[in-house]
Amino acid sequence: MDPIVVVGSGASGVHFALSCLIKGHSVTMVDVGFTGRQPSLPTESLLGLKRNLTDPVDYFLGPQYNSLVLPGHEGEYYAFPPSKEHVFRSRGEPEFRANGFAPLYSFARGGLAEVWTGGCYPFDDQDLSAFPFEYKRLEPYYSMVAERIGVSGTSDDLKATFPVHGGLQEPLDPDAHSADLLAAYLRRREYLNREMGCLMGRSRVAALSRDLDGRQACNYSGRCLWGCPRQALYTPSITLAKCRTFPNFRYLGGFYGDHFRMDSSGKVQSLVARTADGKEEQISAGTLVLAAGTLGSAKIFLESVQRDTGKAPELRGVMDNRQILMPFVNLRMLGRAWSPDTYQYHQVAMAVRVKESGELIHGLITTLKTALIHPLVQTLPFDLAGSASAFRSIHGALGMININFPDHRRQDNYVTLDTATEQHRLAIQYQPEPGEPPRLAATIKTFRKILWKLGCFAPTQMIHVRPMGASVHYAGTLPMAREGGPYSCTEFGASRDVAGLYFADGTTFPSLPAKNLTFTLMANAARIAEEAF
Amino acid sequence: MQQLERECRAYTRYLCGQDASPYLIEKYLDFHQKLGHELKADSFDSFLVRMSACGGSWVGLSDSYARILRKNSVLRKKLIVVLALLECTPPSFEKLDSVPAGGIVGAVLRLAGTSARFVLTSALAVIIFSPARLWMTSREH
Repeated sequence: MDPIVVVGSGASGVHFALSCLIKGHSVTMVDVGFTGRQPSLPTESLLGLKRNLTDPVDYFLGPQYNSLVLPGHEGEYYAFPPSKEHVFRSRGEPEFRANGFAPLYSFARGGLAEVWTGGCYPFDDQDLSAFPFEYKRLEPYYSMVAERIGVSGTSDDLKATFPVHGGLQEPLDPDAHSADLLAAYLRRREYLNREMGCLMGRSRVAALSRDLDGRQACNYSGRCLWGCPRQALYTPSITLAKCRTFPNFRYLGGFYGDHFRMDSSGKVQSLVARTADGKEEQISAGTLVLAAGTLGSAKIFLESVQRDTGKAPELRGVMDNRQILMPFVNLRMLGRAWSPDTYQYHQVAMAVRVKESGELIHGLITTLKTALIHPLVQTLPFDLAGSASAFRSIHGALGMININFPDHRRQDNYVTLDTATEQHRLAIQYQPEPGEPPRLAATIKTFRKILWKLGCFAPTQMIHVRPMGASVHYAGTLPMAREGGPYSCTEFGASRDVAGLYFADGTTFPSLPAKNLTFTLMANAARIAEEAF
Repeated sequence: MQQLERECRAYTRYLCGQDASPYLIEKYLDFHQKLGHELKADSFDSFLVRMSACGGSWVGLSDSYARILRKNSVLRKKLIVVLALLECTPPSFEKLDSVPAGGIVGAVLRLAGTSARFVLTSALAVIIFSPARLWMTSREH
């Protein structure tokens, strides 16, 4: 029997593969698989790195200074750290032509989730209302994935929108600023719940508070942003390494899955993959599972259909979470000391029902600790020496909310194939809903008010609306539905257009709530593997 | 090369009150070798950089002027490069990360002091540098 061929080693691909391997199937994974540097001085804390590395500038800013943010740089507050540059390394070919969308691609081993911030937020029944199944059916897979990857968190007020599943580890120790925000919430809880529709609690994060499966628990070394040397913070490459211990697993790194071929009956027959030097290889595939990410899987599908029929369709309904970054100052924390020896990503989460729009909005609060300060210092309204000096007094008081908005499939938003160039590209067309600006404005106002009630101030001029595509929560191009027409798939991820073809990634999501989708990608991929194979 | 080294020394002292280490100077030169093409300066930008490299109060005056009237100038970029290098390397990172004593009251007083000093320095900088800028701009046109 032919092995199941999986394209992509991201969050979906590895959990699909692992479930299949455990069930005894043979799996071949096709992946470009760029890798990065190994962590330097693994036993050192962040401060130890700064003190003891022979070339700390190379480590923190990169040999080409790519992590340096100079004045005039528009948009994001931070560049990616050098240790994660491989995640966005290009194949050397243009991947897309986009209008209204700024997509990020990854050909790294482990995919885009190699740079995620670990948020694990299960979808509840309301979030899954457009899906062909309910939370109850997905819950065992959330628990299974939580046990595999290690999710720390607790049952608190947020359980009203983030269901509590099995496999949770105890929460990590909060840093002083996060603890202060949670205490402020408890003091104003009734008002915030009733008047602002705001629930707050501990983030659920894929970071270990207990050792798991050869990985060590977080020791609060402060190195999260630059890559955890203990693997306490989960990334999909950890599961890929586990898959590679199975004798029935074959990893074909260095191969870009380009398109598949079908036999005369329309059943998938093989995958055509290309190496970096352009050599093509045909891999026999009785069952092909696309898990190359929503855009990557859509491109493979479109390329294959175009080669078969001479025409590429428009896959409608591409989605992404709009995100807003809202920096704030916690007035109580001014002049207070901060410790670098803490977990660095978000430790506090919010769910806010915005009255004006009725939408449930998700916010993740990250307090500033060891991130590089020069991108922020240059935004202060003083000369640079004054700004650097003032920053020392406000460092421990700074934080940022990452506000996530839901998205829905809309006919105007689609991906198709651009065949104008020799190497075909994905063409992406995206337009926000016409009513988006007032929706964003109402949400910004609500969040600023909540922050004020928590004793924090968010300067409006520093609020940054990220472009569509920046959240990398792409979904919805070949959605799951119990009954559906062309360019959709069944609840088991099986394509309705090509026999033997499955989708196990965000391609299949029929809607996108205001939550990081990665945990659900993993759970859904495991569900498809368990239920369909 | 000597000019770049002078800049690095002046900016290091200005930003954290310490002497630039040989490693820091090496990295500053390395940055200019690799990404110097991103620092295209017009005549006034070059003038600000030359003035700031004199060190002492000239750095603060040039920087204050740049902060309000030439935000994306070459001088600001060079200062940010040095700040980024300082925050990655010992012993300067410990100084930049340290929290001054005094708690919230001290923080508020320090912020007020920084604001007042900046207003004064900026006013002086505008008086000093505006004629030079006008003259250079008119000469270029």
